Amino acid sequence: MRVILYFVAAIGLIWVGVLESASSSVEDFKRYSDAHVLDHGHGSIQRVLAVGLVGDLVVSKIISDGRDTVIIEGNEEF
Amino acid sequence: MLGIDSFPRSIKQIQLLCLVPAAQKLALMFLLAAVTYGVTGIGAMLLMTLLANTHLGKDGAGKHGISIAESSRLGGVAIGIIVIVYIAGLSLMSPYTSGPERDVTFLYLWSAVLFCCLLGLAEDVKPDFLTPKLRLGAKFAVLGALFWLSPALIPLTVGVPAVDFLLNLPVLGWVLVTVFAVGFINALNMADGANGLVPGIALASFAVFFMEYGRPMDGALMFACSIFFIFNVISGWYFLGDTGSYGLGAILLGYGLLGVADGNFSAGFMAALFCYPCVDFMVSVIRRFRAGRSPFAADNGHLHNRLHQLIRLRVRSSVMANSFTGVIISVSTSGAVLLIYVVGLLPPDSDLWHIAFVVECSIYLASLKYLTSIQPKTQYADVG
Repeated sequence: MRVILYFVAAIGLIWVGVLESASSSVEDFKRYSDAHVLDHGHGSIQRVLAVGLVGDLVVSKIISDGRDTVIIEGNEEF
Repeated sequence: MLGIDSFPRSIKQIQLLCLVPAAQKLALMFLLAAVTYGVTGIGAMLLMTLLANTHLGKDGAGKHGISIAESSRLGGVAIGIIVIVYIAGLSLMSPYTSGPERDVTFLYLWSAVLFCCLLGLAEDVKPDFLTPKLRLGAKFAVLGALFWLSPALIPLTVGVPAVDFLLNLPVLGWVLVTVFAVGFINALNMADGANGLVPGIALASFAVFFMEYGRPMDGALMFACSIFFIFNVISGWYFLGDTGSYGLGAILLGYGLLGVADGNFSAGFMAALFCYPCVDFMVSVIRRFRAGRSPFAADNGHLHNRLHQLIRLRVRSSVMANSFTGVIISVSTSGAVLLIYVVGLLPPDSDLWHIAFVVECSIYLASLKYLTSIQPKTQYADVG
């Protein structure tokens, strides 16, 4: 029973990174469509705590590449 | 409720726990996971720790490669769970559309990857559940179907005129790529014998793919492989298992072929990136054939076995000797290619990467010859 709780906790902690990546990309798309401001936005304490130093670079790359696709292809897929 | 007296006792218990090597390893692994990937990394490390301690997929001491400790074969399962959770969450909560949804080639590729993972999982959960011939036949069928349905995965030019001519012949090109694909997956499985060797190669490769394309899937795979690499190298309690080596082999194969077919990478770059498993596989088959043994029978004559024996004489800890072996090989082959790519010394589509591949092959053969000459009468010697 305790093992199941640990598994749930592990998935929950991974989910923190998922939420941070997803919210960062959604915010970025909104910011881009509203103001057309290219702001990488990485390095915030909240994101570094959620996804770490390497994860911060990974999330930034995912967002910037997704944004490039938006600019080039005119759709939100990346 | 804790009494005042229980606090010093708890501190003493923590101090005693810190003296236990396993607890020290766990602390180091969680610290590295937290620094590199934050709370998410801690979650992934916790998941791996829990899976490593389940009774399912346990390998006895000395059963896997050069490992002499009891370990779990569910590393591939752990990587799979982490990647699925990450990609499913990103698909649900962000504008991300996963590859299989937007491109039929990725749909076929990921279907083949899933089949390869299930094939490996059957073997990890119940060893010898499938005969080697059945497994080989299944891989030929699945990968043959993949290349038949997705001819875009077949590169039409690899920079060698004779091979290019054969690849451009419709049916022969398909046969050649299918045989190569099955050989590649088996090569990666065969090389999975030292801590951090295959995970290191996979980590370097996904880092290259992620930097080139920026796909979230590559990022998720890089994250999962990083955590597994830390766990595998420090503790030695985990192996990729057949699920991991078949699954990662199929993904790396698909991404590599697609990269060469699209012209983003040269064939020489991919050859240099995956030099160790491919060359070790070819040399092992030839070595066994010359010794009159089955080319696919397991033995201890690989370069990583011989290097491990050399390191084992100088390093007291058996886990560290195992990990040094894997890390030295993965860093000096795929890691070197990653470094050259990051620094920008050579563009990834340059044919000059063939020279890097030839240099790697020469170093492999020279090292094997030297280590064989100084270890003639050991458990690693080739007995005809």
